[in-house]
Amino acid sequence: MMNCWSPSLALIFQEASRASNAIESIKHPDLSKFLVIAAILFIIGVAGVLTRRNLLVIFMSIELILNAANLNFIAFSRYLQDTGRGDPMSGQIFTVFIIVVAAAEAAIGLGIVIALYRNRETIWVDQIDLMKW
Amino acid sequence: MILSGWESVFFWIFSIAAILAGLLTVMARNAVHSALFLISSLVSVAALFILLGAEFIAGVQILVYVGGVMVLFLFVIMLVNVGAEEEGRAPIFNRPAQVTTALVFLALLAGILVIYAIPRGYQALQKRDDAGMQQASARRAGEESSLSAGATGVSRLSTQTQSVGTALYTTGALPFEIASVLLLVAIIGSVMLARTLKQEAAADDVDPEVLNEMK
Repeated sequence: MMNCWSPSLALIFQEASRASNAIESIKHPDLSKFLVIAAILFIIGVAGVLTRRNLLVIFMSIELILNAANLNFIAFSRYLQDTGRGDPMSGQIFTVFIIVVAAAEAAIGLGIVIALYRNRETIWVDQIDLMKW
Repeated sequence: MILSGWESVFFWIFSIAAILAGLLTVMARNAVHSALFLISSLVSVAALFILLGAEFIAGVQILVYVGGVMVLFLFVIMLVNVGAEEEGRAPIFNRPAQVTTALVFLALLAGILVIYAIPRGYQALQKRDDAGMQQASARRAGEESSLSAGATGVSRLSTQTQSVGTALYTTGALPFEIASVLLLVAIIGSVMLARTLKQEAAADDVDPEVLNEMK
């Protein structure tokens, strides 16, 4: 009698321990959770760049991608701080420079958008095909 | 680095908010709505920075991105006319074939990253750093208790901003100067790109009459 029940009991215990592990990892998010969030943000940004027609929304999606990279840098900076390997501050410095480059890129890009709109009266990327073979 | 208690609650709130706002940025029909959703996504990520103990970067993110870059974006959106897209007369996405291809490959990328690459890589990293993690967390707790208390007495004042500044002016001094030159070039370049023919003529001391004759 006991023998025929024990495999299913073992299965139940295994499932229960797996579920409690999952709950534990939800209650205590670690580095990998931050990396997953950053990866999802990055992929949303790339999807925006590849699918939208509006040049301005494409620029906004690029900002989203850069922000995902920033999140990765900060998460690893905190991880290095906690493990004591390497220089924890370089991640934060990198992030400052990424923000600076993003600001410069936005200024130049929006200047190009204005010049383009003045000449071609469109900001749809599928109509800007003068140099397309 | 393991968050616990309220930190993990806020982590889930802000990360889900960031992802939802990011999705809505890409999918909104109106470009102004896109910009506003992007602002809320950026603010949520700034909150995640604070959870990670990078208060200075969170402040810079809100000041530069939300206060500067996004205002510039909204300004340009108001300047160019995207009426047809907003009123639903024109599609907001590319042709279906292009969109499907992009989404299929991105789904593959997402699946590989989230299911395989990140968990496996993190396991290996954890195995390597387990001993160091224990030591460093004990040291960190000691360091934290030696920080001076804040005005309310509940929290302690962190020295994070101070160490970012120190690192920025010692190890990052050369890139810092290069970044200043980059910003100067960006300012001059965007002014050059955005000015009209008339403004160009005025800046170059050309008589507007000459321009009219050229036309």
